[in-house]
Amino acid sequence: MMKRAKKAMGGAANRAAGGSSALFEQYCDPATDEIGPEGVERFCSDINTDPSDRKVLLLAWKMRAKRMGFFSREEFQSGLTALKATTTAQIQRALPGLEEQVECNPDSFRDFCTFAFKYCLTEPSQKLIDIDTAVTMLAIVMPREPLMPRFCDFLKEQTEYKVINFDQWTSFLRFAQEVKPDLSNYRDEDAWPILLDNFVEWGRRNADRPIDFT
Amino acid sequence: MLKQSKSVNTANGRKLTFKPFKKPVKGLPDGFEEATWAKLQAAVRAVHNKEPVSTSLEELYKAVEDMCHHKMAESLYARLQKECDAHIASQIQRLASSSTADPVLFLDQVGAVWDDMCRQMLTIRQVFTFLDRSFVVAAPGVRSLFDMGLQQFRTHLEARPQVGEKLQRGLLQQIQTERRGDAINRQLLTNLLRMLSSLGIYSTAFEAPFLEETTQFFQEEGRRLMEELDPAGYLLHCERRLREELMRRRECLAEGTEPPLQEAVEAQLVAAHLAALLDRGFPTLVAARRLDDLARLYNLADRVDMLDPVRFAFRDHIKATGTALVMDKDKDGEMVQGLLDMKAAMDAVLQQSFEGDPDFGNTLKEAFEAFINQRQNKPAELIAKFIDAELKSGKKGQTEDQLEATLDRVLILFRYISGKDVFEAFYKKDLAKRLLLGRSASTDAEKGMIAKLKAQCGAQFTSKLEGMFKDVDLSRDIVSSFRSSTAAQARIPQGVDMNINIMTAGYWPTYPVVDAKLPAELNEYQQVFKDFYLDKHQGRRLVWHNSLGTCLLKAHFQKGPKELSVSLFQTVVLSLFNDADRLGFTDIAAATGIEDRELRRTLQSLACGKWRVLTKEPKGRDVNDGDTFVFNAGFSAQLYRIKINSIQMRETVEENTKTNEQVVQDRQHQIDAAIVRIMKTRKTLSHALLVSELLVQLKFPIRTQDMKKRIESLIDREFLARDSANSNVYQYLA
Repeated sequence: MMKRAKKAMGGAANRAAGGSSALFEQYCDPATDEIGPEGVERFCSDINTDPSDRKVLLLAWKMRAKRMGFFSREEFQSGLTALKATTTAQIQRALPGLEEQVECNPDSFRDFCTFAFKYCLTEPSQKLIDIDTAVTMLAIVMPREPLMPRFCDFLKEQTEYKVINFDQWTSFLRFAQEVKPDLSNYRDEDAWPILLDNFVEWGRRNADRPIDFT
Repeated sequence: MLKQSKSVNTANGRKLTFKPFKKPVKGLPDGFEEATWAKLQAAVRAVHNKEPVSTSLEELYKAVEDMCHHKMAESLYARLQKECDAHIASQIQRLASSSTADPVLFLDQVGAVWDDMCRQMLTIRQVFTFLDRSFVVAAPGVRSLFDMGLQQFRTHLEARPQVGEKLQRGLLQQIQTERRGDAINRQLLTNLLRMLSSLGIYSTAFEAPFLEETTQFFQEEGRRLMEELDPAGYLLHCERRLREELMRRRECLAEGTEPPLQEAVEAQLVAAHLAALLDRGFPTLVAARRLDDLARLYNLADRVDMLDPVRFAFRDHIKATGTALVMDKDKDGEMVQGLLDMKAAMDAVLQQSFEGDPDFGNTLKEAFEAFINQRQNKPAELIAKFIDAELKSGKKGQTEDQLEATLDRVLILFRYISGKDVFEAFYKKDLAKRLLLGRSASTDAEKGMIAKLKAQCGAQFTSKLEGMFKDVDLSRDIVSSFRSSTAAQARIPQGVDMNINIMTAGYWPTYPVVDAKLPAELNEYQQVFKDFYLDKHQGRRLVWHNSLGTCLLKAHFQKGPKELSVSLFQTVVLSLFNDADRLGFTDIAAATGIEDRELRRTLQSLACGKWRVLTKEPKGRDVNDGDTFVFNAGFSAQLYRIKINSIQMRETVEENTKTNEQVVQDRQHQIDAAIVRIMKTRKTLSHALLVSELLVQLKFPIRTQDMKKRIESLIDREFLARDSANSNVYQYLA
């Protein structure tokens, strides 16, 4: 069964490669052989999606894109292959399925979140993202997580940390999964990073404050 | 009648003859028993009526004996019993119908009846001795005559309960009267209580109600006096009451009453109110050094087995006073002396009031440890500074022994501190200054101090400090051989002599290297020495520390020469004026190459301080770029040798902060090293276990938050990682 599927994929890939390659060339910058910001904008328009929409990030994830705002040829093509799409219409139709995948599959979600952090790293040896970027990214990546808005409020308000590292990012992901929205089952003798200890303390102190959704 | 007698020869030749018992006479005269009894009865009645007895004692004895011989003993006993019974009954009846309301008078009456009874019974018993010793002894279940009397007395007493009640009330009232401070007839009391004992009714008739009344009395008194008296006064009162009660008991009451009596008084007066007494009075008593009152408190608490509350009060007081001392940032300058005084005071209380009780001793230690560590770092720093002051020269007015005693006491405080590395950092810094600038009052005292620290904290703690001393000694040797080396001496410039301290870098505090362009002669000298040294110790590297150098300059002023004790930087600046009288700031800066801030400080000390060997134009405290400095040829002073070098000795605020920061840094490194060490061994470890293992290994106090910070840092630097399956577990990344 597996072997046949692979073969079929291979065949489809070969057929699709032609299609996705053509599509790629519609948006790429010939000088650099990659889709740049302008091309991305056109591409998004063609799939009727706002560039800042979460679905675009999901696409980038599927493509394993390395640089924000750019898609290389391999990235674009492998992404489309994974979606089994060759036309913008097909891509558009595949998007809800992508969303469902990260919604329902915890491993995919974790992978997506990890990708999102690394996607923000622009410099070669960069390991940290600043607070504003983190806040924006969190809202995109986990819009429906009840703890997210409060955590973002906290991040903006606190002054101890100016940047977030990968450990803190993934720890928050785990935090969102394990800790209740009312923070009642949080134990500070556990190995949570200090950032999260601070968040819980802040959260308990500001329990009555209305959340800023802007 | 047959007389058979035996004769025996005795030692002195006299003959003893044993005569056989007289056989009973056959055929007694009629009415013998009645007649004999009548005689006896009359006598008994006379005794009972306190009238003279007509018959002689001997005749009465014989009468008794005769009756006993004629098998009339039993009936004689019965008759006597009846006679006595009637009499005792009537006596008790008289008591019962006594209308005396006054309990004291009634007690008198009872006492009188009892005395009579005893006396009369003894007399009767004397008369009937033969009966007592023959019939009574032989017949089982028959009481001796005196006991018979007692039994009858008791029976009739019990038959007239109102007598017993009145008696009891009277007795209890007497005791209450005496408790209230009025005098009573103790003899009477004693007698009556002995009477009750003899009658076997002491516990029920007296002791039980007595104890109950005692409890109530002292319960009320305790409550009342707690409101009226201050704690010290109350304790004194308790002591007095206990003494009084026990003395009364010893004189009047039965021995068995003592334990319950003591317990009742202690319970009501002491135990019931100890908590309130401690609350209200303990801190004040300790603060006012009322050692006797505290000793009394201790003793009383001990008696009611409530020493623990006292101990806790002691602990809480020490903690409260100590915390106030230690946390008051405005009074840092007096903290150490304050602590020494406080420790001495608490020790006095412990020894003199609490009998040196080891539990209290432990509590004292624990309480000191608790509060002194409330404030991080400062106490350790201040203790180091205190010792520095003691060891510096110029500390007059103390003998060697006194100094040693003070240091010992300070070290005891040091023992309570958990962050000993802070102390070490400051001590090392101050010791270095003392050694390098020659400020120690006595090398013996210094070495003694090191020995004490070593005994307290182990060799590792003091190894660097000892290294510093070794360096000083070695330096002395090297300089000495330098001076005696003709080769070296030939090369050194004239007019300069140097004393050099070579410091092994690991032992001494770290000093920043501040460059300066030294005068030519100094450079030359240094070079000669350096060559000499490196010749002997190849492979070593010498770095000159200008900031630690001091010089003695001979300066020639108009009014005469002076010797100036100055720092090396000051020397560098001053020697410029050998070739010029006036120099601008920028020129001086260029010529000396000294770092800007240090240079300004140096110039300030030479031109704006107490001894102005230079003058500044324009005048003013601050050194600005456009200033000009002039050699003050007209400088004068009373002393020949003038010290202008006070900056080096004074500890700046910056130095202080730097030392504290150094300790923090060192601790971070130690935590990191410990984490890596632990994780390398265990490979994988839970957060909780890592934390507890760190607490065991690290010798200074540390918060969980600090540990978490270092763990996060190590995760960031990829020494560790969080386990993917279990978020509370760390993995070591090789």
